[in-house]
Amino acid sequence: MNQERDDAIEALLRKQFDGPMRDEGFSRRVMQRLPARRRRVRWPLWSGIAAGAVACWLALLSSPLPRTGWRDWMSGEWSGPAILLLVVALGMAMLALAWGVAEAEDH
Amino acid sequence: MADSAAEARIDRALVARVLLNDDRNAFEQLLRRHQGMVRAQLRRLLHGDVAAADDLAQETFLLAWRKLDQFRGEARFSTWLYRIAYSCFLQACRKSPRSGEHADASEAERLPAVEHAIDLQLDFERAMRRLSAAEQSVLLHCVQMELSHEEAAYVLAVPLGTVKTHAMRGKAKLKTWLAAWHETADEEQTS
Repeated sequence: MNQERDDAIEALLRKQFDGPMRDEGFSRRVMQRLPARRRRVRWPLWSGIAAGAVACWLALLSSPLPRTGWRDWMSGEWSGPAILLLVVALGMAMLALAWGVAEAEDH
Repeated sequence: MADSAAEARIDRALVARVLLNDDRNAFEQLLRRHQGMVRAQLRRLLHGDVAAADDLAQETFLLAWRKLDQFRGEARFSTWLYRIAYSCFLQACRKSPRSGEHADASEAERLPAVEHAIDLQLDFERAMRRLSAAEQSVLLHCVQMELSHEEAAYVLAVPLGTVKTHAMRGKAKLKTWLAAWHETADEEQTS
């Protein structure tokens, strides 16, 4: 009985809803008011990335840390700078992975 | 189900055409496909005010045009449009609160007394207006527009549990207020 009444209420609700409205010139009016699409400008993003990369390179240029770390890593010696370099590389790989997973979920 | 998946694919293809080629014809197709339901949704939310509903629907599609690159496909395109439309409706309500929104409340208090009212539809309409705005919105999207609870939660930007609670409470209230009609119907069936 209860289910029947639920169904009856839902049926009444559906009956009360008129459904999709006919166009009657609405689409044409909207299309007339549509502004030109603005293209998304990409150069600020790429300029920012390039500026950041140059700033990093300049900051590390005077430091022996990256070169020492790279040399030790290549020779298989796990010194402090080599481990630091490894941690940075792993961190960046994890960030890229998380970003990739988030993008895949969005799509 | 297959139909709805095919419709969603068509919508995604049209969106891609707009984004890649600035294809206005593709947007017009999207507009023609969805204007009917968006306008019906807004008309219902605005208690039948067709002119205001059309103004908000126009605003909805202009916003959709501007923000189309933000459509990520996490919901169906129609659901995304309903969400924009609902948010336009809320903004309009904040700008000019509708004084007549719950004006019928006191009148509706007398509902059970009009046991043999002439028109069930009229009583039902008044009962609907007696529900809270949230319950009305949930019943509109879940029952009348036949969205899933998850989709309604996305459109209304509320938690899923809230949608389920409002749907249950709204239907329970309508059942109570319209009990006289059911009793009459039951009596007619038994006699």
